[in-house]
Amino acid sequence: MRGSDHAGVIVVGGGHAGVEAALASARLGIETLLVTGDPERICTLPCNPSIGGSAKGQIVCEIDALGGAMGLLADACGLHARFLNESKGPAVRALRAQMDKPSYARAAIAMLRAQPNLQIVAGLVEELVADSSGIRGVRCIGGETYHARRVILATGTFLGGKTFRGDVVTPEGRFGEAPAIGLSRSLRRLGFPTKRLKTGTPPRIARNSVDTTAMQMQPPSPVRLRFSYRSAMEFPGPQLACYITGTNERTHRLVRENLHRSPLYGLDLIRGIGPRYCPSIEDKVVKFAHNPTHQVFIEPEGWEEPTLYVGGFSTSLPAEVQLEMLHTLAGLEECAMVRAGYAVEYDMVPPTELNDTLETRRIGGLFHCGQLNGTSGYEEAAAQGLVAGINAARAAKGARPMRVERNRGYIGVMIDDLVTKGVDEPYRMFTSRAEYRLLLRHDNADLRLTPLGREMGSVDDAAWHAFERRRDALESALRYAGKKCIAPLLRKPEVRFADVAAMFEPALGDEIGERVAIEVKLAGYAAREAAAIARAAKIEQREIPDGFDYAKIQALSSEAREKLAARSPRTLASAARIPGITPSDVAILSVFLCRDTVHLR
Amino acid sequence: METIAAIATPPGRGAIAIVRASGPMAGELAARLVREHLSPHYARRVEIVDERGTPLDQGVAIFAPGPHSYTGEDLLELHVHGSPVVARDVLRAMLACGARLAGPGEFTRRAFENGKMDLSAAAAVAELIEAESRAAARAALANLTGGLRAEITRLANDVEDLLERLAAAIDFPDEVSDPPRSQLQDRIESLSAELRDLLATGEVGRLVREGTTVAIVGPPNAGKSSLLNALLGEERALVSEVPGTTRDTIEESITVAGVPVRLIDTAGIHAHADRIESAGIDRTMRALEQAQIALVVIDGSQPPEEQSRNVLSLTAEHERIVFFNKADLGMTGASDINGAIIGSVFQKETLGALRAAIAHLGWNDERVDLSRPHLATVVEFDAASAALEALVHARETLEIGDPIDLIAGDLREARAALRKITGEEATEEMLDGIFARFCIGK
Repeated sequence: MRGSDHAGVIVVGGGHAGVEAALASARLGIETLLVTGDPERICTLPCNPSIGGSAKGQIVCEIDALGGAMGLLADACGLHARFLNESKGPAVRALRAQMDKPSYARAAIAMLRAQPNLQIVAGLVEELVADSSGIRGVRCIGGETYHARRVILATGTFLGGKTFRGDVVTPEGRFGEAPAIGLSRSLRRLGFPTKRLKTGTPPRIARNSVDTTAMQMQPPSPVRLRFSYRSAMEFPGPQLACYITGTNERTHRLVRENLHRSPLYGLDLIRGIGPRYCPSIEDKVVKFAHNPTHQVFIEPEGWEEPTLYVGGFSTSLPAEVQLEMLHTLAGLEECAMVRAGYAVEYDMVPPTELNDTLETRRIGGLFHCGQLNGTSGYEEAAAQGLVAGINAARAAKGARPMRVERNRGYIGVMIDDLVTKGVDEPYRMFTSRAEYRLLLRHDNADLRLTPLGREMGSVDDAAWHAFERRRDALESALRYAGKKCIAPLLRKPEVRFADVAAMFEPALGDEIGERVAIEVKLAGYAAREAAAIARAAKIEQREIPDGFDYAKIQALSSEAREKLAARSPRTLASAARIPGITPSDVAILSVFLCRDTVHLR
Repeated sequence: METIAAIATPPGRGAIAIVRASGPMAGELAARLVREHLSPHYARRVEIVDERGTPLDQGVAIFAPGPHSYTGEDLLELHVHGSPVVARDVLRAMLACGARLAGPGEFTRRAFENGKMDLSAAAAVAELIEAESRAAARAALANLTGGLRAEITRLANDVEDLLERLAAAIDFPDEVSDPPRSQLQDRIESLSAELRDLLATGEVGRLVREGTTVAIVGPPNAGKSSLLNALLGEERALVSEVPGTTRDTIEESITVAGVPVRLIDTAGIHAHADRIESAGIDRTMRALEQAQIALVVIDGSQPPEEQSRNVLSLTAEHERIVFFNKADLGMTGASDINGAIIGSVFQKETLGALRAAIAHLGWNDERVDLSRPHLATVVEFDAASAALEALVHARETLEIGDPIDLIAGDLREARAALRKITGEEATEEMLDGIFARFCIGK
């Protein structure tokens, strides 16, 4: 922090990305200022009430392993938790938990307030202050200006946000909150390109107006399940059920009859690109016309919240049509709609503008994270916030940045995908995006990333010592399993830890026991992945020097030269992943890298 | 640092063959395999011996101590007579002394790593890569007529499809149910079967590349050279009425059903030979060793004589075609040999029958259908084998009851291997691959 600066790092936005960024930066000992529209509305979970899920659950564990907040917050506010993919393999087993939304927001605010080095101010940032040396600060509507050499933008869907319900178009970042129009313009003035993306949310209905007996019940896990090894073993409150119902021909007919009133299909109002994997009910009916039914998930939004979330029923049709459609669903025939679903369109800045530290290349000291980078999902946003927070703080300290390799975490996969490939639609994490997913598990996120987090300064003493104890216990249990010939037994697919628990002396806790079982069962497969990683190491570790002059390589096509110059990949492997870069481009490039390295020697 | 060795000249016969070794042991190799002292950078005519001191050949040796050598390391070059056998013997001797066989492109790579290439050399290498990938693209296009690319793409897409189904079940567990294991098993099995078929065609690819070798043997004046000429359709060998005119072996290449066939015409096998003739007989025996097929030519117009019987017994253990020539002059030499071809080199039908017999013995004829997709290169063959291996592993994983996620890794491996054939996937072996594209030792 310099003389006139208000902080070392300023974070703009109080969602999942902004909160992780602010906490991480402050944790690293940097004076941090969080600027957000309404400091009472932090991490409101404006869309679905769940945290985790396939691949996303692993990300939450990784955030936790790096010292982040999301796992702790989710564990403290869960009202229903379940492991998905239990039968499909230990690596894809993923935790998903439903949140009590008010507690989540409260817990996030409490955590921010308790964090030393962190101030929160209300303000709507409308302009970035920058000069030739990089970012200098932000100016809010009303004129307040805050100075800092590092600014993290975590603006979610607020940038140029516009919502759609039929032909009703409202400028808002999300339900009832003003969008950030000026900031979007400010970014463009600084030279950043912007693109429009679209996402949506389903209607909310009154909890007391549904007939749960007409729906299929999904019970919560009777066992306490956690994202974080740091969280309490007790349930934070009563565990509630979720319910499943489904659409039928009447629902579909209503959709078809009203398609001309859809801002996407009929009115042609939406230009932004929506996610294929999270289609609106209109999309489902149009694109999957042959499906007689689509599942709809009825989920509580809190222990006491009067509303239910209607999962899988995202829509931007006019409100009155939405209610009619809801009434066609079994169990919802009489339901009252508390709030209509809507589509939201917002600006993003292509993440190809970023280095893999999440700092923009255009303006030094400016970091982008979350939906601004074209991702969707709380978990994806939080993970980027954490990385941006750590890296902004480390930049402020003059320390080298944190990087997570693709084989170390989904976080690494995501960031590499974003900065090398860019996004064409809202980016969500999938297990299939990871090359080495057998290694990227819920259970071993701490082994993968806590040492890195500790090195980077984001893992505190208590978390580190607890990690060391866990790691030592796991290692000695694995040695014991090997010595006493328990491992061959455990390797059989039908044998679970419970079947061999009695053979361990001293007895193992269930949690460590499960980890031993997973390590043993996957050993052979994981070794194959490790071998693949070793083979790939050469190309993954071959770094391309900063400012490498691609123009001099005449053998590269001009398209390849342009792409490589624009993205400045940090390694040869990243270069290979840039769309349009062919194997022979990579070969040519490697020859030159090889030669240059030799000359440097 | 290990010492590497390889034959630097292209396979086949040339006037000379160069065998090269690079690394710390190069000097020691020089001391053991070359009798004379070598001055750095000077070529010297020497006798080359093997690791036990047995003479191999007269040749030229050059020793270049590093860093002033092509690779930047100590480098030994032995130039020997251009026989593949001699070059292989010299290489074998180097390996026996402790050198390791160089990987593809390893000499170039060491040169690179030791800073022995300047900007223009690097640019030339880069351009070569580019040109090669264009050539590869052309080759892929050429094989398109055989549909290999289409076939591999289809298989890769099938694997992709399976992966997508698994991914859907894993990433959307609420909406998408698991694919039934029996169905996965069936599809993996049928994919494996198709790959196995394709690999069988790899043998065809090898044939198309390497072809086969036929040694034409027989008593003097049985018409071996006339046969060679007839097969070639041109005068090449010296033909004479005097028995034993053909003193040395003559090699020519023809194609049979699109497959290259190397013909070795040998000196007549003569029972009572003079010195030159006996050298010829040695060559005949050597030719027989090198050839997959012996084409035994016997004068059918003469009564069976001792020499014919000798040749027949010499070749009895060999894959062979027995041809009674000169039947147009009256067939007196009775044939009790099964499948013997009787006719004349001047008859079209006879030549046709001989070609058919070569195709039959060489590659079971009907298997060489060049219009069918085939794996034409070693790289393709290896990649297809890797894909099959991954599928077999996936199948085993399913069988023992492990969860479905564990087969995804295998399927990804199979997909990557297949895409390597179609050139769509940059692989981890990339860096090695660059150098492997060059002829080794060059």
